[in-house]
Amino acid sequence: MEAADEWLLQSLRLSGAKWLELFRLQGVGLHGLRGHSGLCQGGRAGQGGSPHRVPGSSCPPHEGVCVAGYGQSDGNEILQLIPPPTLLTKETQGLCPERDFKVECGGFSERPVYSLKYVPNTSLLVTSGPPDSSLQVWQVSAENSDVIKSVSTIATESGTGQSWAKIATISARAPWVLHGSRLDRVQITEVESRKNVYTAASRGSEELSNLAFLDCNTVLLCCATGRLCLADTRQPQSLVEAASVPSAPCSEQWCMGTRHAAQGLEPSSQPVARLSSRGLLTLTDLRKTSELLALAKARVSSPGSEFLCVSWAPALEGYLAISGFDGTVHVYDTQSWDSSGREAEPIFVHRGHAFGGAGGSEDPPLVTVHTWHLQKPRTLLSAASDGSLHVWDWVQPCGKCG
Amino acid sequence: MFCWCFPGVSLVCILVSIAGKNVMLDCGMHMGYNDDRRFPDFSYITQNGRLTDFLDCVIISHFHLDHCGALPYFSEMVGYDGPIYMTHPTKAICPILLEDYRKITVDKKGETNFFTSQMIKDCMKKVVAVHLHQTVQVDEELEIKAYYAGHVLGAAMFQIRVGCESVVYTVTAWIDKCRPDLLITESTYATTIRDSKRCRERDFLKKVHETVERGGKVLIPVFALGRAQELCILLETFWERMNLKAPIYFSTGLTEKANHYYKLFITWTNQKIRKTFVQRNMFEFKHIKAFDRAFADNPGPMVVFATPGMLHAGQSLQIFRKWAGNEKNMVIMPGYCVQGTVGHKILSGQRKLEMEGRQILEVKMQVEYMSFSAHADAKGIMQLIRQAEPRNVLLVHGEAKKMEFLKQKIEQEFNVSCFMPANGETTTILTNPCIPVDISLGLLKRETAIGPAPDAKKPKLMHGSLLMKDNSFRLVSPEQALKELGLAEHQLRFTCRVHIQDPRKEHETGLRVYNHLKGAIQWWLHPPAGADVVQLEQGSWRRCSFL
Repeated sequence: MEAADEWLLQSLRLSGAKWLELFRLQGVGLHGLRGHSGLCQGGRAGQGGSPHRVPGSSCPPHEGVCVAGYGQSDGNEILQLIPPPTLLTKETQGLCPERDFKVECGGFSERPVYSLKYVPNTSLLVTSGPPDSSLQVWQVSAENSDVIKSVSTIATESGTGQSWAKIATISARAPWVLHGSRLDRVQITEVESRKNVYTAASRGSEELSNLAFLDCNTVLLCCATGRLCLADTRQPQSLVEAASVPSAPCSEQWCMGTRHAAQGLEPSSQPVARLSSRGLLTLTDLRKTSELLALAKARVSSPGSEFLCVSWAPALEGYLAISGFDGTVHVYDTQSWDSSGREAEPIFVHRGHAFGGAGGSEDPPLVTVHTWHLQKPRTLLSAASDGSLHVWDWVQPCGKCG
Repeated sequence: MFCWCFPGVSLVCILVSIAGKNVMLDCGMHMGYNDDRRFPDFSYITQNGRLTDFLDCVIISHFHLDHCGALPYFSEMVGYDGPIYMTHPTKAICPILLEDYRKITVDKKGETNFFTSQMIKDCMKKVVAVHLHQTVQVDEELEIKAYYAGHVLGAAMFQIRVGCESVVYTVTAWIDKCRPDLLITESTYATTIRDSKRCRERDFLKKVHETVERGGKVLIPVFALGRAQELCILLETFWERMNLKAPIYFSTGLTEKANHYYKLFITWTNQKIRKTFVQRNMFEFKHIKAFDRAFADNPGPMVVFATPGMLHAGQSLQIFRKWAGNEKNMVIMPGYCVQGTVGHKILSGQRKLEMEGRQILEVKMQVEYMSFSAHADAKGIMQLIRQAEPRNVLLVHGEAKKMEFLKQKIEQEFNVSCFMPANGETTTILTNPCIPVDISLGLLKRETAIGPAPDAKKPKLMHGSLLMKDNSFRLVSPEQALKELGLAEHQLRFTCRVHIQDPRKEHETGLRVYNHLKGAIQWWLHPPAGADVVQLEQGSWRRCSFL
């Protein structure tokens, strides 16, 4: 039996994924998927429930997923997809007439899209990618057209050795985008007017891995070296080192994952996770950065690539997922972790991308990004370099039944 | 007996005018309407004059009712006596479907103004069945050719050719590199990104497994032709792998008919089925046995495939009535059900059904829907265009949708024009006509002898004279052209006086100029080896001429 069939049957038998949907997005120029956003309950009339729009996240104005290509040539596509009804409801329905994603609208980008974020409360989206650190602003969903149109460019001063900008968005006082490729080039720009609102002080010129709004006044920056820096946007030029590089060989790259606090809670009460290209995971409490909350090691087969990604589960306390090492996504329960740096056992490993391939093709696919479903607690979406998009979940192993 | 239609899709009926010929592609019915709107408005075609005179032929791509359902109405009630082309399996299956649908519409729903059984028969008499890859001459100028489409049994895509203009019509995504002027394709699902078929199959297996594990019975109403065989193979493999013991049954009426058609059209089935059929008889499965009515009352888990597919009559309905009251049981509907059938009612959520004699049936069993739709999705459309290499693309869509993005995508990627006409709209496509030119054999021989041999990858430039006389074009050598036209050849010589100041002797200078020119000529003009392009006439020391 083919390896893929075998895996599918295994997944059934071991009561692994409760359900599974595999998609393939293909087309010239769509070399892979990157920078897609999570699913969120949107503001569609009659949907009920208040829109759970989280600061800094990148939800499309309504239920949807956005994917974009990062191929070398131009003509990279940006697609806003409507998920099938199965993904929009809380209850899982296995057999459903509509199981497909629909392309709601699409656009063409001349440069590869390495990062993509929606601007909350607007119909705009911001992308970034090589060759420089400028940002492209797009208009989604015009009434009569299904084309995502480019509206403007937020230019940045280009220096030598600048790569692409990392971005985060928020719409508290106004639609803002936080961006920068290096620690000394971080700024907040108002999206519509393109006016600069804030510039972070310079504290070195390290490359950034990612950045996030903790709330409308606080931003967190993570350098590729692992260093975390906090800044208060109300005080110009403020930039404080929050956590130093965890002791490790310098050749490692780090990235971070922040968890958004539920309503009413202090954003900094949520631990920040950092993941290294060697598989080291650290948890830090921003209120007490002198020591690590936890340190663990993930069992990874190969060193992480540029697609390192770590994210917290929005609906499961203490759960996080990592990807970017190979064709798998690991899910961990961090609640039992301590600071010993021991190897951690994943709760679940999704291996589907390794089998989805066209059979015998050159490189095994690499997971480029993953994200959690905002309502379904154990559901994730992951995308890989071969253009595959998977939606999957897992069944909680039953406690301690031997 | 069966019908396979897709919700949300209207009907397909396209009129193409190519080089003065008028061809109708498909003649479908809209399953959602109960009045005249279910048939195409044929007054669009021609306000006066008979359709038979106006249309050169009608082509039907496959047996789905949204592609052929209006055919009897069109030919017998509106009036068309010209040829209707379709493949052999389509011709065999169409009348069954049409009759089935007619029965439901007229008998069950009591409608009038619908075609009769006799009309279906009369219509089919006008049908000319075609083989794959067979060029059919509709008339002296119009020819059509069917290609395998793989959508449903007997589905074909058609290439319509008049002279050097051609159109390819297809509903699916497999095609040769036929380079038509225009590719017409359905694009209802073009913005869809399909879940992998394997995953749907996996879900199907999961549901069946879960039901059987808890002791329930699974009813799968099927159409005799279609997914039933594939699902059987799927279940058989799964049962073997998981070492399951629950019995699987196949209702016999289904077996005979299906077996018959599959034997007839074995070359039309997909690879999976063909492979199985070759290994053993279609219905000799290890775990799947023929069904007997009495088995329905047996205790314990089982899976049964029974016809008809919409639960509107026959064995599947009988079994359904027996099993509906138990919530451990499950019915998996394999496709869209026509309004009025039990299948449609339970899929809409109805759980109390009124049966004959005013009996109320309470449905406690689980109702699931399975969709293995084979329409081309986003990836399929791009693949289709990539393979066919048309000069223009026309998208036919079921609902008025915004497709600007897809249009741009196609235009950008393939550098072709893409059209999306609305209902009733006419699209004009300019084609580049191919003009055939006869080349004289003598000229061809002479030119091929000169220089490097002709290469498939490198075009070779040749010289000749084009003679246009009446409607023919001929390429001949200049000498022959002159001869035919009765013209004398004139030679023109261009001279140019160049003064060279050089201290050396005339002879030396002459030689230097000669060698330099020869080298330069070689570099720029690549003359054939051995040809003397530059000559130095020693006698008259001033002359250095080019040939």
